[in-house]
Amino acid sequence: MTKRMIVAMLALAGIFVALYLLLYKLGMIGHLSCNIGSCETVNTSKWARLMGIPVAGWGVAFYLAMFALAVVSTTERYADSAGMSKLLVFASGTGVLFSVWLTYLELFTIHAICEWCVTSAVIVTVIFLVTVADLRNKTADPDESAV
Amino acid sequence: MARPTNTTGKKKNTVRNASTRPTGFYYVLGAIAIVGASILAYSMMRKPSEVVVTQAVAPTGPIGPAEGYLIGKADAPVKIIEFADFECPGCGNFANVTEPDVRKRLIETGLANLTYYDFPLPQHKNSEAASNAAACANDQGKFWEMHDMIFANQDQWNTEATDNPKPFFAKYAERLGLNTGTWETCFDTRKHQGRIMANAAEGEKRKVNSTPTFIIGDKMYAQGMTYDAMKAIVDSATKK
Repeated sequence: MTKRMIVAMLALAGIFVALYLLLYKLGMIGHLSCNIGSCETVNTSKWARLMGIPVAGWGVAFYLAMFALAVVSTTERYADSAGMSKLLVFASGTGVLFSVWLTYLELFTIHAICEWCVTSAVIVTVIFLVTVADLRNKTADPDESAV
Repeated sequence: MARPTNTTGKKKNTVRNASTRPTGFYYVLGAIAIVGASILAYSMMRKPSEVVVTQAVAPTGPIGPAEGYLIGKADAPVKIIEFADFECPGCGNFANVTEPDVRKRLIETGLANLTYYDFPLPQHKNSEAASNAAACANDQGKFWEMHDMIFANQDQWNTEATDNPKPFFAKYAERLGLNTGTWETCFDTRKHQGRIMANAAEGEKRKVNSTPTFIIGDKMYAQGMTYDAMKAIVDSATKK
């Protein structure tokens, strides 16, 4: 099992978390009722959309891209590529920054925390840490790919 | 077939990892996909299963100092109580999609009546103003017309759209042919704020914690529902 495989698995889990939030936002999951629960508050706030697209939709797109990238990076052709490691760090780092901003909004602007959003933030943070470890391995020893 | 890269130590390692990938790695990915898809499918399928009875409450009847808005015959055999928030998308969905059927087929036929109680949620900053707008329309006998207009245009005046919803409500009042001067004085002085707060307090007393919440007979249903679900409940309450 390589670090990149772990990234792919986490990204796949992330796809489902973001998909859950997106379906909730679109009213296909949950009661559509205004539960006082915090996910409802967060997901119906004005920050739940970015450029007209639900934030959860951006999340799905991000995890899909991350997943595709991670799977491709495990193939023989890219297995030793340090450039691919850098790309993975860059992509996951972007996700972390986006998550930090969203968590900041939850804590200080919306004043509500949605546990699914926190789950996503944790996943993207772990992905980032694993990609950094992968990059360090690749730059230290280009052939090191096992955990 | 022999692979040239297998002959050296380091390359051999890489190739071994790559060749073992399909078995373990893809199985794990498949397992994650199956679990994730199952959870999503389960969550989506739960929705049509509808009504979850959260708790039994006291039978419907006069509610303390709170005063709802009745539609239908006062002596209808089944009484539906609704606690709703004008700004809640779930309540809007019920009002816009389900309620026309409920009115036509359950209320106008005399099978049931419905009483609307305000339950403005704190996160919806314009909801209380909407309740006031509707209460002031009620003074001129047009609560339900205003109720419908407010819900139908929820996207125009909700917290996400504006910090000042009054002009929208004033426009609706005008469109409904209300005496706008009287309506405006009523709205500006928050003449019915006490009634709205009493309605919300009544909801809290009955452990309402989400909107819409319906009380039909002696049961409380803390979620929106389809016409069919409501009809089934009304039918079963009628038989009792």
